[in-house]
Amino acid sequence: MNRADYDVVVIGGGISGLMASLHLVQQGLKTALISRGDPICCLSTGCIDVYAGTRKPLKGLKGLPKEHPYNIVGEGGIKDALEFFIDIMDKTGLPYEGTTKKNRQILTPVGTYKTTCLVPGTMSHASPENDEYIHVISFKGIKDFYPSYITSKLKNTGYSVFDAHAVSTMAIASKFEEEAFLQEFISWLQDLFIPHGRVAIPAVLGISNPLDVIEKIKAAIDREVFEIPTLPPSIPGIRLYKTLKSTLLKKGGHLYWGRPISSVESQGGQVEAVTIQTSGRPTRVHGRSFILATGSFVSGGIYATRDSVKEMVFDLPVYVPGPRDDWFNPDFFDTGHAIETAGILTDQSFKAIESDYDNLFVCGSILAYCQIMKNHCGHGLAISTGVAAAEKCEEYLS
Amino acid sequence: MLKTDVIIIGGGATGCGIARDLTLRGVHHYLVEKKDFASGATGACHGLLHSGGRYVVNDPEAAKECIEENMILRRIAQKCVEKTGGLFVRLPGDSRKYQDSFLKSCETVGIETEILSPARALDLVPNLNPSIEEAVKVPDCSIDPFRLCMLNAFTSRHRGGGVLIHHKVIEIIKEKGRCVGVKVQDRFTSKIKEIRAQIIINASGAWGNKMAELSGSHVPMTLSKGSLIISNHRLTNMVINRLRPPSDGDIIVPNEAVCLAGTTSVPAEDPDAIDVEAREVDIIASEAEAMIPDFGSTRLIRAYTGVRPLLQAGSGDGRSISRGFQIIDHENGMFSILGGKLTTYRLMAEKMVDRIMEVFNLNVPCRTAEVELEGQEVLSGYPLSKRLKNMDEIVCECELVSKEDVINAINSIGTQYIGDIQHRTRLGMGPCQGGFCTYRALGLMQELGRYTPDEAMQILREFLQRRFRGIRPALWGDQLKEEQLVESIYHGILNLEQQQ
Repeated sequence: MNRADYDVVVIGGGISGLMASLHLVQQGLKTALISRGDPICCLSTGCIDVYAGTRKPLKGLKGLPKEHPYNIVGEGGIKDALEFFIDIMDKTGLPYEGTTKKNRQILTPVGTYKTTCLVPGTMSHASPENDEYIHVISFKGIKDFYPSYITSKLKNTGYSVFDAHAVSTMAIASKFEEEAFLQEFISWLQDLFIPHGRVAIPAVLGISNPLDVIEKIKAAIDREVFEIPTLPPSIPGIRLYKTLKSTLLKKGGHLYWGRPISSVESQGGQVEAVTIQTSGRPTRVHGRSFILATGSFVSGGIYATRDSVKEMVFDLPVYVPGPRDDWFNPDFFDTGHAIETAGILTDQSFKAIESDYDNLFVCGSILAYCQIMKNHCGHGLAISTGVAAAEKCEEYLS
Repeated sequence: MLKTDVIIIGGGATGCGIARDLTLRGVHHYLVEKKDFASGATGACHGLLHSGGRYVVNDPEAAKECIEENMILRRIAQKCVEKTGGLFVRLPGDSRKYQDSFLKSCETVGIETEILSPARALDLVPNLNPSIEEAVKVPDCSIDPFRLCMLNAFTSRHRGGGVLIHHKVIEIIKEKGRCVGVKVQDRFTSKIKEIRAQIIINASGAWGNKMAELSGSHVPMTLSKGSLIISNHRLTNMVINRLRPPSDGDIIVPNEAVCLAGTTSVPAEDPDAIDVEAREVDIIASEAEAMIPDFGSTRLIRAYTGVRPLLQAGSGDGRSISRGFQIIDHENGMFSILGGKLTTYRLMAEKMVDRIMEVFNLNVPCRTAEVELEGQEVLSGYPLSKRLKNMDEIVCECELVSKEDVINAINSIGTQYIGDIQHRTRLGMGPCQGGFCTYRALGLMQELGRYTPDEAMQILREFLQRRFRGIRPALWGDQLKEEQLVESIYHGILNLEQQQ
């Protein structure tokens, strides 16, 4: 068996695990990130929701239950973590816009507006602006975007359809990586008569350099251009984790991507190592400490049977809100389903309560009481608990 | 105002069967249904074309009707029936005596049986519990109740009958103590139509008494709720029954790519206020697992429930009541047809129409047992070859439903809701239960200019609620995982919960 040694081993390649790892490498700690595969954030809008219940996101935190992980991080910690995130993204080709001082709204594919906090630069102009005209661009046969949802709902809108000879968002996005395709698209746009206003395009404008694409389009047609997030798989979500992942690599983090964990070793209240499946023979990854960021049900961090919920890597105790009959409210639109509170309860240093392990920290949506759908706090929670748990881990190591 | 000879209330198998029978005997009629075809017990059953085996010990008369109708439907409704055959399996602990009386009764009633050794049964259905003691082969089949109703209505519609789905009866018009017509309200536009007729047939199943009360009458009924679950895989190619007296969770029926398992039997009061309980799901899943062990680990995609409209009996639970049917002449121009089951719908329709012919003093014999259902080629379902012809145009990836199929369904008469498209194409019937394709189908409907944005949003919301009702009792494991994904689409990305 191969062996590798680290200060910290982070398990889970979603936003929370990536941000925890980025914080740790920044502190000079030898860090490994293990991920079973591409994270669930490739299904998200790529926007950073912090808390959507109030106009100023951080003002709403008081109303959250005392067990909510935000209350462990604290307002200052959330702000610092989000600023750390903004700093990281600023140094990449995918800067984020917005401030933790107030929420903003972005146009959705059904013509509604979604409340969020930080948005990728491609959505800078996606907020409602005084009924200004919006011209929506769609693609022939695209499965997950129907401009009439928007144009029939919002006044002062129109749309045109471009034939990209591809119907999935992924396929169209990879076409936008080619300069020739982009030029063809731009000259088609130039031939359209687009009234004065903004141009909205589903989020398919390339994967690696969407802002360059937008700049070129903008320069050619003299209109502000923005992206509309689409149904999964969502390109802005993919760009986000890819950017964080490559930044982590550049900063010296070690990645084990696409590597499921097959076993865990512990001794005397400490996790010693995890074994992962690698090509040829398995690798035993040793760490002085571990961070668990494997996510909620949808990411596979926890799994429900008919009458219980299991944590999948360390078999940590999971908080479960009552019997199965009570897990979901009868109303689909009532997003306060009890099951959303299921997860790992931790103490103030993000160590699981009643856990056997002293050197294991937990962050992200696997934490109990997140209620991400109810609070709209997904990536904000991932970032702030990721950084906060990493800080606790760092304290522990020193 | 519309005028006709007969009004049929209810678009389930009975109502549609009556419409077809009347058509073939040349009697003009209107069929009115408050939702889509097969929205009541017809669409909420196993989709089992009974051999009669299930009833043969306790109710041989009903069993005899079953086997006779089974043979007729195989012939006239080929495209709705899959001749799977069925097994009654005896597990360790199940009474050998019951098997003896089962075999004896089958012989008396005329249900062909064959006793199979465990090895032979496992050859036929490899997923069976290997510890079965014995199995009895019977001529059970799987039947598609939606297509069956639509095909019956097809004949009526194409030969001058009137079929109004999504039209709810809000009043039964009476003059001088006689029922002379109905007022129906279009569910979509809220517009009210009046239809006049000489005879009204109440074929509204579990809603029978509600409807009778509208006309000032009463019908004695016992309502029994039966719940079922759907597995993500087709774990058996034959119908599997437990060889023991009828009880909870003793039947598994293969249907297209999935299996349906059930049922329970719980007394019900109001057919509009029923839900599946988690307890029922657990019971059915455990019982199904006893017959096919893989049922325990397979993903359940949904649970659903229907209300059996049974004839009222003095005592006993829903299972001991006869599955026979009854025609009640209210002697005021209205008839109610009660009880029965999907397998015998044609026979029920025949007897009902015989009575009407007496009233009209006409002498035209029933032909529904001889004439094959018309339109079977058009509504032949979606074989894989047809589904795969253009993968780029697939709207529902789970069930491989193409854009063309969806547009055809949208353009077919009376379709207004996502559920209508589902019934006609299997859209959204797979593991994600419409999580992705509903948004697409509604997008297509908007592009075709069918709805205003508010209407579209309303339909989407209604659909999501109904969908959630079905999957909520079966939310654990992979299905719960999928549900978090679907929630993240509708709440996280589209923010629908804020768009009240």
